[in-house]
Amino acid sequence: MLSFIARRVLAAVGTLVLSSVLVFLAVQALPGDVATQVLGKDATPDAVAALREKLELDQPAWERYADWIGGAVHGDFGLSLVSGKAVGGEVSMYLGNSALIALVTVLFAVTGSIVLGIVAGLYRDRWPDHLISTVSLIGMSVPEFVVATVLVLCFSVALPLFPAVVLYGPEATVGQLMPAVWLPALALAVVMAAYIVRMARTSVIDVMAGEYVTTARLKGLSTWRVVTRHALPSALLPTLHVIALNVAWLAGGVAVVENVFNYPGIGKLMLASVQNRDLPVIQAIALISALVYVVCNLAADLGAMALNPKLRTRGRTR
Amino acid sequence: MPDIHHPGRRSVLAAAAAGSASLGASWLLTGCTGASAAPALPEGAKAGTPDRGGTLRIARPPASEAETLDPASALSAYEYLGALYNRLVRIGGDGDLAPDLAESWEPDAKARTWTFRIRKGVAFHDGRELTSADAAYTLRHILAKETASPQAAVLAPLIDPAKLRTPDAHTLVVPLKSPNAEFPSLLTHYNCYVIPDGSARGIGRTGIGTGPFKLESFAPAGPGRITAFKDHWAGRPVLDAIDFYSVADMSARSNALLAGQVDLLSQTNLDFATARVVAASDRATIARVENAQWYVLPMLTTEKPFTDVRVRQAMKLAYDPEHVVKVALQGAGTPGWDNPVPPSDPAHLGAHPKHDPEQARHLLKKAGQEGLTVDLYTSSYDPIFTPMALAYQDSAKRAGIRVRVKTASADSYYTQIWMKKPLMATYWYTGRPVDQLFTQVFRGGSSYNETAWSDKAFDALLDRARQETDDERRRELYGEAQTFVVEKGGAMTPMFADRLVGISRKVRGYAEHGFEFDYLGIGLKGA
Repeated sequence: MLSFIARRVLAAVGTLVLSSVLVFLAVQALPGDVATQVLGKDATPDAVAALREKLELDQPAWERYADWIGGAVHGDFGLSLVSGKAVGGEVSMYLGNSALIALVTVLFAVTGSIVLGIVAGLYRDRWPDHLISTVSLIGMSVPEFVVATVLVLCFSVALPLFPAVVLYGPEATVGQLMPAVWLPALALAVVMAAYIVRMARTSVIDVMAGEYVTTARLKGLSTWRVVTRHALPSALLPTLHVIALNVAWLAGGVAVVENVFNYPGIGKLMLASVQNRDLPVIQAIALISALVYVVCNLAADLGAMALNPKLRTRGRTR
Repeated sequence: MPDIHHPGRRSVLAAAAAGSASLGASWLLTGCTGASAAPALPEGAKAGTPDRGGTLRIARPPASEAETLDPASALSAYEYLGALYNRLVRIGGDGDLAPDLAESWEPDAKARTWTFRIRKGVAFHDGRELTSADAAYTLRHILAKETASPQAAVLAPLIDPAKLRTPDAHTLVVPLKSPNAEFPSLLTHYNCYVIPDGSARGIGRTGIGTGPFKLESFAPAGPGRITAFKDHWAGRPVLDAIDFYSVADMSARSNALLAGQVDLLSQTNLDFATARVVAASDRATIARVENAQWYVLPMLTTEKPFTDVRVRQAMKLAYDPEHVVKVALQGAGTPGWDNPVPPSDPAHLGAHPKHDPEQARHLLKKAGQEGLTVDLYTSSYDPIFTPMALAYQDSAKRAGIRVRVKTASADSYYTQIWMKKPLMATYWYTGRPVDQLFTQVFRGGSSYNETAWSDKAFDALLDRARQETDDERRRELYGEAQTFVVEKGGAMTPMFADRLVGISRKVRGYAEHGFEFDYLGIGLKGA
C-alpha cells in the first residue's frame, strides 16, 4: 500500500513540474509585447524600453524559468508588474474569496446531487428518474454564464433578493461577500451537479442489483436501511472521483461566473492579469490551479483506496 | 495615444467570454421581458431638474491596478478627473472654447505669446488659493520627462518650461517656440487638469484639485468615493457624493444597472441589443452622447497597395457611408464621408465627394489593381468594429473590391494589429480640437499617426493655419486641411456614432460631450 501511495505522490509531483513548464511556455507565447501591454497604449517608447529592461526580457527563457520556479517553491511568486505588490499575497486574497464560493458550491452540489442521484437510481425508469435525468442533462449542456444570467434575471432584476454584481473590491470581508455568494455558487452547482447526479444514479443502480443487497432485502431489512447501510457507501465510491474532478474544474470554471457577477475572486484576477500581461500573476494562478487539480485527484485516489478494501489490500497481496 | 482608446482599453476584459455572455444576457433578457418587437431607443436623457443631495453610483470599467489620480499620467483614472479638477480652458457645448480656471486669454499680435488671466477666489480642496504658480507648475509637470505624459508630445514642441512666466498671482504668460493661434485649445485635453504647485509626488493619491468634488477614498481599479466640495468657485454641485465602482464585464455592468445597484455606466457604449433591454427596463434607460465616437478604417500608406493614392481614393469612393451608418449603427450616428473632423466641430467642412463605385473601379484600373482583394482586421474590442467591417465589405463589392474580414484577438488588438496591419478597424473619442486632431493623428511623424501618412504640403498647411491670427481665415485653412485629408490621406472615416449610455431613470441633468461631463449639474430625482 505504501508503495502505491508513493508512486501516486511521485506521479503528482511529476505532473506539477510538467505543468509548470507548460505554464511558463504558454505565458511566453501570449501575443502582444509585455511592456506595451502593461503600460497601456498611451505609454511613451522610453517607458516601454525601461520596463523591458527591468523585466529582464532579454535574458534567455530557461534562466527566467529557473528563477521563477526557484522562488515559487518557497512561495515567492515575485512582484506584480501592474500593482507592484507581492504576487503571493495578492493571489491568496483573491483565492480566499473564490474559496468561499467554492465551499458553498461544493456543499450545494454534493449534497443536492447525491440525494437526487439516489432518488433517480431507486426510481429507475419511473417519472422521478426521468425528471431528474432530463434536468441534469440540461444543466450539463447549458454553459455556466447562461445559468448565471438566468439566475441574475430571476433573483436580482425581477425579484431583488440577491445583488446582481459585487461592488466591493478584493479586500471585502466575508460578511460583505456573503449575500453575493449564493447566486454564483448556485450557477456553478447546477453545472457541476449534473455530472455527480448521473454518476450517483448509475452507482446506485449497479449496487441495488448486487447480490448482497438482495441478501439484505431477504433478511427483511427496510428499503431505507438497505440504502443507507449497504448501498450508499458502495455507491459513493465511484462518485467520489467525479466529485474530485469537479472540484478541480471549479478552479477554472469559476472564472466565467465570477466575471458575470463581478465577484473579486481568482478567476477575475486571472482575466485581468491576462489582459494586462501581468506575467508573474498569470503564472502563479496557473500553477496554483494545477496544484489544486493534482491534489484533488490525489485525494480522490487515496480516498478511494481508504474506502475500498480491495484496493487497500492489493499492494500487500502482490 | 492620448485619449483614444481610453475607454475601450478597459472594457476589453474577457472580451471573448464577455462578448458571448452579453449576447446571451441580452437575448435572455429580451426573451424574458416579453419584448417581441424591439423597442425604439430613446432620443435623449430625461429632462427636468434633479433634487438637491443624494449619492450617484457610477460603474466604470476598471483600469489597471497601476492607475493614478495624476491627470497628466497615461494611466490616470479618467472618470475622477473632471470631478476633482478643473482646466484652464474647456470645450463648451457648442464646440468652441470656454473659460474654466482662466477667465480670459489673449495672444500677442503674432500668436507667439499667450497671456492667461487666472480666476480669483478659487480654492483647492486643501483650502489653498489658486494662483498662476499652480498653472505654471501644472504645465511643467506635464512636460517633465518623468511624468511620461502623453500630452507632452503635443506641448513640448511649443513650450519651453523654463520660459513660463507668472508676473503676478493671477497672470500666466506662455511664450511659444512657434506661433500658434490655436494654442489654448490644446489645454482642453484631460491630461491638462490643474494641480497644486509642488504636488507631483502625492497628487496620484490625494487628488487635490479645484473641482466640484473632493476625494474621500480611491483604490486603483477598485471602488472610490468623492464628496461635494462646498467651496467650489462655481457653487456646490447638486449631488452630495458620487460612489465609483469598477465592474469589468459589460453584461455585469448592465446587470448592475438593471438591478438598481448603480445609476450610471460610465464609458460604456452599449451594444444595440443590450441598449434595447436597458431602455425597456423600469429602472433604467438610455442617454445618448451624440457623435461621441469617431470610427476609422485606417489604411497604412506605407503598405501596398495603399502606397498608391489612387487606391486610397478608390477605397473611399467605393463604399457608401450612409449604408454603413444604417447597417452598423442602426442609424444611431452620422456618416463621416472620410472627414475626421466631427460634424459638431465649428471647423467642420460639410462638402464631400459623392459615393461613386464606377469612379472607384476606374481608379483601380488605372492603378493596375483591378479586382483588388484586401484583408480588413477587426476584433470584439468594440461592438461596432465587426458590423462596420461587414457593412464596408458589402458596400465596396459594387466597385469590385473584395474585402476579407479577419477577426483578431481583442486583448492584444492595439499592440498587434493597430498601426501594424495595412487595413483595420478602430475608433477614437471625438471632442479633440481641430488643431490637436490633425497634429496628433495626421501630421507626418506624429506618434498616433495611424496611417503613417506623411505629406509635406499638408504639414505646411497645418503650420499656416495655426499661425493665422484671423479667425475666419484660419477656419478656411482648416477646411482646406480637411479636403486634403479626404482626397489624399489614408484614413477612411465611415461614421461618427452616438454613444449609448445606460443610466437610471432617477438621473437628471446628465450632460456629456467630447471629454466633458457635467459633474455640477447632474443629480437624482427623489434623492
